[in-house]
Amino acid sequence: MDLFYVLVGTVVFAVGGPVLGCLLAGIDRKVTARMQGRVGPSLLQPYYDVRKLLEKDRVAVNSSEEVYVATALVFTLLAGGIFFSGGNLLLCVFVVTLSALFFIVAAWCTRSPYAEVGASRETLQVMAYEPMVLFMAIGYALGIASMTGFLSFDVRAAFYMPAPVILSNVLVFAGLLFVLTIKLRKSPFDLSYSHHAHQELVKGVTTEMSGRTLAMVEIIHWCENVLFLGWVGLFFIWNSAASILLALAVVAAVYFLEIWIDNNFARVKWQAMLKGAWVVALVAGVVNIGAFVVL
Amino acid sequence: MAFASKSPWVIHYDGSSCNGCDIEVLAALCPGYDVERFGIINTGNPKHADIFLVTGSVNEQNKAVIREIYDQMVEPKVVVACGICACTGGIFHDCYNVLGGVDSVIPVDVYAPGCAVCPENIIDAVVQGVAVLDEKSKALKKKRKEAAL
Amino acid sequence: MVLIGFLILAPLVFAALLLAVRNNKARKVIVCAGAALVAAGSLVLVCLGTGTRGIMFTFYSPVVDYVCMALSVLIAVCILVFGFRYRNVASIVLALVQVIGSLVFEIAFAHSIVITECLYVDSLSLVMTFIIGVVGTGICVYALGYMDDFQAHEPEGAPDRRPLFFALMFAFLSAMYLIVFSNNMLWFFTGWEITTLCSFLLIGYTRTDEAIRNAFRQIIMNLIGGIAFLVALYAMAITFGTLSLNELIVVGQAYPALVSLPVCALAIAGITKAAQMPFHTWLLGAMVAPTPTSALLHSSTMVKAGVFLLVKLAPLFAVCPVPSIMTVLVGGFTFVLCSFMAISQSNAKRVLAYSTIANLGLIVACAGVGTPQAVWAAVFLILFHAIAKSLLFLCVGTAEHHIGSRDIEDMDLLFQRMPRLARFMMFGIMVMFIAPFGMLMAKWATLVSFIYAGQVALIVLLAFGSAATFMFWAKWLGKLSGIAGSPQNVERTVHRSEWFALWLMVALGVAACVAMPAISTFYVEPYLLGVYGAFGQDIAETNLWLASLCSIAVIVVLFAGVGRKGTAKQAPVYLAGVSADNGQRVFRNSLSGQTEAASRNLYLDELFGEGRIRRVGEAVCALLICVAFVGCLAGMPILF
Repeated sequence: MDLFYVLVGTVVFAVGGPVLGCLLAGIDRKVTARMQGRVGPSLLQPYYDVRKLLEKDRVAVNSSEEVYVATALVFTLLAGGIFFSGGNLLLCVFVVTLSALFFIVAAWCTRSPYAEVGASRETLQVMAYEPMVLFMAIGYALGIASMTGFLSFDVRAAFYMPAPVILSNVLVFAGLLFVLTIKLRKSPFDLSYSHHAHQELVKGVTTEMSGRTLAMVEIIHWCENVLFLGWVGLFFIWNSAASILLALAVVAAVYFLEIWIDNNFARVKWQAMLKGAWVVALVAGVVNIGAFVVL
Repeated sequence: MAFASKSPWVIHYDGSSCNGCDIEVLAALCPGYDVERFGIINTGNPKHADIFLVTGSVNEQNKAVIREIYDQMVEPKVVVACGICACTGGIFHDCYNVLGGVDSVIPVDVYAPGCAVCPENIIDAVVQGVAVLDEKSKALKKKRKEAAL
Repeated sequence: MVLIGFLILAPLVFAALLLAVRNNKARKVIVCAGAALVAAGSLVLVCLGTGTRGIMFTFYSPVVDYVCMALSVLIAVCILVFGFRYRNVASIVLALVQVIGSLVFEIAFAHSIVITECLYVDSLSLVMTFIIGVVGTGICVYALGYMDDFQAHEPEGAPDRRPLFFALMFAFLSAMYLIVFSNNMLWFFTGWEITTLCSFLLIGYTRTDEAIRNAFRQIIMNLIGGIAFLVALYAMAITFGTLSLNELIVVGQAYPALVSLPVCALAIAGITKAAQMPFHTWLLGAMVAPTPTSALLHSSTMVKAGVFLLVKLAPLFAVCPVPSIMTVLVGGFTFVLCSFMAISQSNAKRVLAYSTIANLGLIVACAGVGTPQAVWAAVFLILFHAIAKSLLFLCVGTAEHHIGSRDIEDMDLLFQRMPRLARFMMFGIMVMFIAPFGMLMAKWATLVSFIYAGQVALIVLLAFGSAATFMFWAKWLGKLSGIAGSPQNVERTVHRSEWFALWLMVALGVAACVAMPAISTFYVEPYLLGVYGAFGQDIAETNLWLASLCSIAVIVVLFAGVGRKGTAKQAPVYLAGVSADNGQRVFRNSLSGQTEAASRNLYLDELFGEGRIRRVGEAVCALLICVAFVGCLAGMPILF
């Protein structure tokens, strides 16, 4: 039965995720433009971009690249399906990592020097955020356990709680916000490929991707954004309809914050990113999870 | 409707020039003119770009580079020659090493004269280029449909 | 029980045969026949024992005791001979200590203690049987082709030691069976020492200076472990008057304070065998041995004997805090630090060695936690690691003989030079580190079990270690996946026996990943029921099946999806518009010359270099072990 829910969730997410993600990306560009004193493109610009990419001719360094990217897209959708059907948060995290791996391999298989550098950096990024993302899932499960006495990674469990998980997970949440900047590919941590005109890497991971493949990468990115913001919202859900509104408000605030950070910080070197993310994860993980165990 | 005109991504290459047009192109991309309004993004990657903005004239050194960047761009694609040097070779036209305008190497769709070309002209040229892009996109679609039949 | 006897003795017979036969063709026949028989026997046993919670066999034979004693002496003599020949004082001293210790023990205690049930079978030993019988024999078959190439690569006139090699491999299988079926700790110990000796001889196989040096490092460290084992035997004999592993576990659960010393000593023995810090350097050194040896002894089976012992003792760790803390922390630190160090390595076998040590560390930590959930995770870690790692070792071995290097940087374009092998390698790597494949599912269970046990330190170590694991596997995977131009396919000369073994490992890997929920129900859970009376599976069945489905999808993509000729137009890669020879990534540089764009993987040496991390890890782990051992020793006199 659970498998059925996941399947339905994946199908729903495959439709809803890109739509929402596209609008989010449009809002991002609009808000960014306003922050820079510009008018900015239309709200649907990301949609136009992808439609245009789909219309382009099909050219590739090799055919495997597209297969890898398509696989990455499928697993991103599955991860979203698992999350939004109330499935296991840890499994969702793992499937997202799998999708990230396929994306990286897609870049590597072209043997383009720029794409290889991008892929190396993307690998570093995964290594940087992975501990904190695991701590997020663990903190969530322990938060549920502290209220019910029953350890559960299930996303749906939050809807039965008397209070939101954030109350016992302030540090974990702060750590999540830190690595969220990496996951959303925002400056200062957009090392592997960037929407800005930093061009020392050409376009990093996506250098060799064009047309349909690049369109899929954009869609992956949209879906990931929706999913990651879903993680953020999850911390504010409890047994109340109002909690959903609160979660949405928090998600909006967090997204705005990320855009603000994106526009105000220059890209850092990988050393700073890795050390920063790991120190944050170490502190958040040890203190917050330690507190759960001790208390 | 073709979507090519809604999201023209550009790549910019500077041949042998005084860099005046070069700076004007960047000025057009900056907030003051905000070409992102039209969905224009400077990609710096031929594989992502739809419009090839060339400034400066072509010489023996950069001939192959322009050719290669053009070849690596994915159809449909449009070339805009920005500034008089890119159009004809301009003031450099009789230098020993200069071959002439961009059209001596690759087909050019839109010419934007000026020394240096002003941002308004660049924007106009890109908008004209976008119309060409739309046509090419439609032609490509038609071709693809025929191939499928 | 007959089957058990067969499994222990048959490999010995084949070993003797192989030692005698010098003809290459005859050897091939014998090895294949032996491997088939042993594998068949193992499979029959595994099938017959499906779902068993453990059966003890009433079997006692003083003859076997004497044989064991004779073997111990023989092993010591062998080590002494080598020690004298190569003037290695430490090994002589340790071997003497051990042989005298075991002889005294035999005379003083062993004959007064009668164990009626010397053999047993439970589901854990069935899992081990499967690994030894199927993975192990598969590696032996692989070795046929490999050793032909190996001998061909040796300098002219080098002595052909292949009879000894294969004899040792089979003798080793026998010793492993002895370990997993013996309830009598004395027999167990004999098997333990035989594996040490086999490993010693196989590491020193080429007799180069480096090989000899590393072989002695191995023997010294493992003799320390052997002496710790002996201490445990003394403690067991003195305090309980028994040498039965089963009784130790049963009594220990009731009186934890009594067993603290033997458990601690056995844990140290297990830690040395499983090459945990500070003893991890022997496994790194062991990589000079021919690759099948590394696959069989140093990743899939012998080092698993160490963790097997620890997993057997897991119920005692759950009640004895001092050895438990030691084991947990040593395992945890080893996992995280060796994962870090693996990032800085470019030698494929060294990466594999570090990853092996790291994963063993995780298993050790699981055993140390000792809850049913942790043991569930540990068993799956053992199984998946054995399959995936032997596959990887075999792939590296084959690649080495065909591309002439075991450096990951040289594996560029392997996807085209050796298309099938590269896919196998990629599959092996994926099984090692990424969901939905087995290792990561087991790591998931590990994580959950650590959370239940409230082990904050372990949770943190696991999280960071896993992140590092992603890094070093992903970059290797990336290196393999490159596709460009059309380099020459050098795969055609790979031996049939090698392909057979590689296919076998891949098939096992696929089967194990897909059938994980079933393995849990029929083998792992019965063991836990027998030992703890509780279930250990903590991942919902649905999620396991979901992972199975994902595994299938990834396998299809890997073997059928990528590497085909597509319909899209071929395009050259972007080289800033200045390519000279695009297929070779050669571009025109600013001096109008030509340069090839070369890129190496990231090794992050200044952060994760060996020099930095190794000393810290060794110091911390050595300190932990010393403190725990002294603590347990100090705790004992109070009981007398």
